[in-house]
Amino acid sequence: MLAYLVRRLILAVLTLWAVSVLSFVVIQLPPGDYITSYIAQLSATGSFVSQQEAEALRQQYGLDRPLHIQYLRWMGMVLQGRFGMALEWGRPVSEVIGDRLWLTMVVSIAAIVFTWLLALPIGIYSAVRQYSMGDYLATFLGFIGLAVPSFMLALILMYLGFTLFNANIGGLFSDEFSGVAWSLAKVWDLMKHLPLPALILGLAGTAQLIRIMRANLLDELSKPYVVTARARGLPETRVILKYPVRVALNPFVSTIGYLLPYVVSGSIIVSLVLSLPTVGPLLLRALIAQDMFLAGTIVLLLGVMTVIGTFLSDLLLIWIDPRIRFEGKP
Amino acid sequence: MSQKRRRMTRREFLRDAALATGTVALAGVIPAPAIAGQAPEPKLGAQLIGKLEGPTIITDPAKWPKKFNEAPMLAELVKAGKLPSVDKRVPEEPLVVKPVHSIGKYGGTWRRGFTGPGDSENGNRIVSADKILFWDYTGNKVMPSVAKAWKMSDDGRTTTISLRKGMKWSDGAPFTADDFVFWHEDVYLNKDLQPTPHPDFMINGKSGVLRKVDDLTVVFEFAEPNYLFVDILAGSTAMGGGQALQQHAGRTMGAYTPAHYLKQFHPKYVSKEELEKKVKDAGFDGWVALIKNRWDWRLNPELPTLTPWKTVTPINNPTWVLERNPYYWEVDTQGNQLPYIDKLVMTLAENLEVLNLRAIAGQYDLQERHTSMAKLPVFLENRDKGNYDVRLDPALNGSDATLQTNQAYEADPEIAKWLHTRDFRRALSLGIDRDQLNETFWVGVGVPGSIAPSETVPYSPGPSWRKKWSTHDPKQANALLDKIGLAKKDAEGYRLRTDGKGRLRIELTTSAGAFIPHTQIAEMIKEQWKKIGIQADAKEHERSLFFTRINNNEHQIALWANDGSEVLYLFPRHALPVDPVEALLGHPIARWYASNGAQGKAPKDPQLLKAMELFRSAGGKKTQERYKIAQEIFKILVDEQFSIGTVGQSPATMGVRIASRRLGNIPARQINAQHARTPGSSHPSTFYYKA
Repeated sequence: MLAYLVRRLILAVLTLWAVSVLSFVVIQLPPGDYITSYIAQLSATGSFVSQQEAEALRQQYGLDRPLHIQYLRWMGMVLQGRFGMALEWGRPVSEVIGDRLWLTMVVSIAAIVFTWLLALPIGIYSAVRQYSMGDYLATFLGFIGLAVPSFMLALILMYLGFTLFNANIGGLFSDEFSGVAWSLAKVWDLMKHLPLPALILGLAGTAQLIRIMRANLLDELSKPYVVTARARGLPETRVILKYPVRVALNPFVSTIGYLLPYVVSGSIIVSLVLSLPTVGPLLLRALIAQDMFLAGTIVLLLGVMTVIGTFLSDLLLIWIDPRIRFEGKP
Repeated sequence: MSQKRRRMTRREFLRDAALATGTVALAGVIPAPAIAGQAPEPKLGAQLIGKLEGPTIITDPAKWPKKFNEAPMLAELVKAGKLPSVDKRVPEEPLVVKPVHSIGKYGGTWRRGFTGPGDSENGNRIVSADKILFWDYTGNKVMPSVAKAWKMSDDGRTTTISLRKGMKWSDGAPFTADDFVFWHEDVYLNKDLQPTPHPDFMINGKSGVLRKVDDLTVVFEFAEPNYLFVDILAGSTAMGGGQALQQHAGRTMGAYTPAHYLKQFHPKYVSKEELEKKVKDAGFDGWVALIKNRWDWRLNPELPTLTPWKTVTPINNPTWVLERNPYYWEVDTQGNQLPYIDKLVMTLAENLEVLNLRAIAGQYDLQERHTSMAKLPVFLENRDKGNYDVRLDPALNGSDATLQTNQAYEADPEIAKWLHTRDFRRALSLGIDRDQLNETFWVGVGVPGSIAPSETVPYSPGPSWRKKWSTHDPKQANALLDKIGLAKKDAEGYRLRTDGKGRLRIELTTSAGAFIPHTQIAEMIKEQWKKIGIQADAKEHERSLFFTRINNNEHQIALWANDGSEVLYLFPRHALPVDPVEALLGHPIARWYASNGAQGKAPKDPQLLKAMELFRSAGGKKTQERYKIAQEIFKILVDEQFSIGTVGQSPATMGVRIASRRLGNIPARQINAQHARTPGSSHPSTFYYKA
């Protein structure tokens, strides 16, 4: 077991190194650099910068140096636990991301909880009552949820919210609470704003999970051990929840690896549409502005999360599924 | 399909405008759908364009108030002993402003939207009163601002400015000539901060000098006549742009800076160890990065400024909050210290749709930035619900979508030859139906024509030059193209290349994400050019790739707005290829110009060369002569059609103003121009809440 863990750890470090090189190179691939995009942005919004100023900035940020030097400089900082300055934000990258990280996790976890709370019971129900009215209804709604792009749902709900309820548009806080220190009232304000993004982000996933849960459970329900359990006179809920549901959960657990990066970056497009102050829009903006320290750090963070997540889901699978535990042992 | 939809929207817009104004003339137009899309409509849009007006600066000291009042929130601080009394804060020689409508009331929070740390201009423009000199509300006359008065010597070599007696920084420290000297000696002449001298402080390649005469007098001296320098001090330039604009986002100009505060971050004034510790504690790469961060008004709430409001919550947060400067040096005619409004709160919108929707919902009190012209119908529909008025402020520049032909293009010799041919460019221009473009993309409120600026600008060559070669005349265009040797056409009616390599295809390079939908405009021009047998391809690029391609001299014709060209000498880069940062008429030519011929390539076209030589000569000429030269340059540019204008003088960029009905002193129309720092020249410090 220990050897296994060590092997995984070494692999993880190598993977992360590859991620860091790739992310840095990919971000630098488009022609131009941060200064080009800065100039373009200024010009498009009625402002400008002079040639001399642009050159001075390029020198200050070290953008005039070759790519590998820039990479080594960045890595040098990362290894010391610093991630450089976010060029556009004029603040250390760690602060810029840190601000948004917590909110992102709140939103994503709310969405995941919403998804699971809804999807698991419905999935179990529609498997156990296959081809009933309820199953058809859940299937129908599930497919609609799957088919509607979530950004469109976001736009529609936002517009309805504005026209019907005169609700605040976008964001996670009311005007009076944004930029104010945390207080109970602010938390409550956040709670009030949370359902909409959680619903939108969760809905597509819900539909998918219902289908997976239903299919997996159907496979298990017809197996002899279920019949045996039933024949032995176990109560119906226990028959279903104790054994087949547990087995059917396997795919959920194995996707936790992808859940962690999702918790960090959320859904970029929906966050953008809803104007959520989360990491997603930050990444997009950093990529457009070619702010390689910020974008590189976020991509690296996502890499770390994926690696950790995969590792965790491996461990969880061992715990949840005895068959995996015993495999390979004589 | 999309055409049809647009038309519906337009009609709703018209109906709305008509309902709002209720004029007889409009009522007559509406029931006749047959006329829709025809001539009377620009007038309808014009219903939202009011009379140009703005506050007046009182320059006669005899009319200045002698006693001063202050905002209640400051009076409280005075009472608590935390602030000196108002007559000790306001200078003995304040800037006295007569508000456009009435004396205002103190208080209130101005709610706005911004799009993130890159949107600095959103706040920069509002606090732009910290410029050395400024323009009046027409944008044509130089006015005092930070400097009380100015004088240029007859030979144009020295410009003297006088500062205000008793003027203070926002922390209460005196503002004197020493703040200019510190900037000059320790910032501008420091090679780490400013590696190369700046053209705005040079004449014919020679740097100027800044000198202190006494505490309240500063002199700028040049080796050669520099008659333009007063305009530079008033313009949105590196020397006159003010501290907020010129010392944000890593910039080093602005001509003055708070010496008493910044010395603690400068190696000349603190020991190396101490500075290194400060740099390390703050997490920067070096002292240059640190000091540039410390003098950035958007990022550093501690920075002393001269602006009406100063940052409390920096721009890199979900809200950017500004609060009144207790030492602000501007008062109204009754001696009330400005600004009237206590606070500005800008909330972050991650995308423009959300920002526009919030404006529609009345969640902003005054917003002219990022509000899109395409949303005009929706803005009008919801104005009572949202309790706001919509005002349009047309800009002064000639063309929001200008087809800039690359005069240094080489990649395809055949195309290059045609781009160098005057009649070819004229034919392309005559092949554009500007009225259709105006109706579709400018909801009829733009002015079709050439690149020449509005006639209200002294540089305008006159009304006839707005029309020259810039009307829709496919017949003449076809005749011109036939004449120059492009008579042969293929089966589909497109003209053929003369080198036998098939159809002549012109690429229109556009960019995504500008205020104006250049790609869609290019697509429509492509359709219109079918009638003159020219095949065009619109190619959209991401914004920075667009500029990269232009800098690599890869474009044939690029679309971009020519904003700023109305003040030709202060911002020439959208009219002439003189600045390598944006050189849409040919990057090599701009490099040639900027390097005095050392690099790049001279323009092949003698007329373009002439225009550029005229431009170079103008800096040493007096005002009236300079106007004449500018008119001459615009005549050349329009006659030659290096840049093909389409529709301009429109509110497309920062001209759709959503103003809460609770606000007072909002001009019916304000000048919309970069040099006037819109809404800066309307003195936002005089805006107030009526209730």
